[in-house]
Amino acid sequence: MTRPPLAMALRLRLTSAGAAAFGLVAVLVIVGALFPAVGDTIGKLNLPRGVSQLLGGADYATLTGWFRSEIGAVYGPLVIGAVAITSASAVTAGEEEDRILALVLAHPITRARLVLAKAVAMGALVVIVAVGAWVGLLIGVALGGGGIGIGHMAAFAVHLAFFGLALGAVALAIGAGTGRRTLTTAVAAGVGVLGWLINGFAPLVSALDWLKYLSPFYYYAGHDPLTQGIDVGDLVVLGAVAVSLTVVAMAAFERRDLRG
Amino acid sequence: MSAAPAIATRRLSKDFGGGRGLFDLDLEVPRGEVFGFLGPNGAGKSTTMRLLLDLIRPTAGSASVLGLDTRSQSLEIRRRVGFLAGDFGLYPKLTGAAVLDYLGALRGGVDPRRRDALAERFDADLHRPIRELSTGNRQKLGLIQAFMHGPEVLILDEPIAGLDPLVQQSFHGLLAEVSAQGATIFLSSHTLSEVERVTHRLAILRQGRLVVVDSLENLRKVAVQRLEIEFAAPVAVDAFASLPGVREVTAAGATLTVAFAGEADAVVKAAAAHEVRSIRSRDDDLEEIFLRYYRAEAPS
Repeated sequence: MTRPPLAMALRLRLTSAGAAAFGLVAVLVIVGALFPAVGDTIGKLNLPRGVSQLLGGADYATLTGWFRSEIGAVYGPLVIGAVAITSASAVTAGEEEDRILALVLAHPITRARLVLAKAVAMGALVVIVAVGAWVGLLIGVALGGGGIGIGHMAAFAVHLAFFGLALGAVALAIGAGTGRRTLTTAVAAGVGVLGWLINGFAPLVSALDWLKYLSPFYYYAGHDPLTQGIDVGDLVVLGAVAVSLTVVAMAAFERRDLRG
Repeated sequence: MSAAPAIATRRLSKDFGGGRGLFDLDLEVPRGEVFGFLGPNGAGKSTTMRLLLDLIRPTAGSASVLGLDTRSQSLEIRRRVGFLAGDFGLYPKLTGAAVLDYLGALRGGVDPRRRDALAERFDADLHRPIRELSTGNRQKLGLIQAFMHGPEVLILDEPIAGLDPLVQQSFHGLLAEVSAQGATIFLSSHTLSEVERVTHRLAILRQGRLVVVDSLENLRKVAVQRLEIEFAAPVAVDAFASLPGVREVTAAGATLTVAFAGEADAVVKAAAAHEVRSIRSRDDDLEEIFLRYYRAEAPS
């Protein structure tokens, strides 16, 4: 009985996730196509270290650095984070506030299975966006002159997907635990933004450097998958966060009263 | 197992704080009964129903449906129960058919002929997006999903809210049919007239506590009835006020309105001593009881 809610969540959210993936492809293609024209000029920019750090330690003179800063540091995680958070929030707290879950849960399905179905749906949507990032990179890199291996592009997409899964699981846990849509979206987005800031600024102060380990951005881009390929340790951390928060979501939803 | 009542609650309580909730509800609804659950908004009707479906959890006491515990055996209960929530949501972008397909799939599939027969009976539009439907048409979808799998017990919270009189008639016909087939129906309302035609017994709930459970016949026996008697000339009020069972007499010109409990004999005989132009029974006796139980003071 997990399949119907999974199919329903995909049906309701597929259009927006597909649009996000398509948008990501388009932006990556444009960014790649622009590099031959602007790479030389922009490569000479001397950014303050803090800004550079926020943009993924950008080295604009190379195609890898150009993509890392333009897409890897901000746009990619923004898009996948938005899809993950809004999907997870809508299918849990959103449906509860809209009094749909009370109807669904009057049917023979356990709450744990329902949350699991929603988690799998959110995961599938995140993967669609990540595949969009990979396809966009393939085209964009080709237009930008090449030089990044397909495997490394795939590694970037995989890291991006795991980042999305972790952030989506934060929203899933809050949404299933509280049933409050605005709170869910705000807190999960807050975790994302705070993680981005911590990852950017903590390394600038040696005493606070350890804080970066608390940021999902560190595990997403800290070891630069576009250059270094997959970092299994990072994926294990992000995957463990996603799985454990999904379990938390299932347990929290099981225990509480449905709102409304 | 088959001897277990359709619904049983033992000191069932849900305390929301501030005096709100449901307190010490002891109720038993045998199988096959059509049971009316009455009370004003906020009396605890929906809370009881949500507890039976395990949507919320009791703070004390317990409940069973078809002999199954509402906490530990909820899945089996939900398989065999049809539920219409008082205020439910449906996916606004989807059509009624798509939503019913989904809800049917959650039950492992339902007979499409049964679903279509219900849609036809209620004249429900299954092919328009739900956001374009009126409240009454959405309510029809709620009713279809509650009935479409042939449940043994139907728990219906304010089922005729928003339905036009013709659809109400169809609904009452359907209740009679499924009841004749042995289903138990537990339905709530905040007005008696909605349920008195169809219920065998009813309970009245006030501020989270059960006030009375009885058959309609018994409630009628203690009902305060009103007779409006128009005389040819004004008569003395005192002659009626002192009659046995009379609660209240009001005069307006030559017309007396006499409120009394029990038999009408004494009132009619006293009236017969005068020239009577007309006698009208105010046909709101049960509503009177209902309102009496509703009021905050203890029922007399």
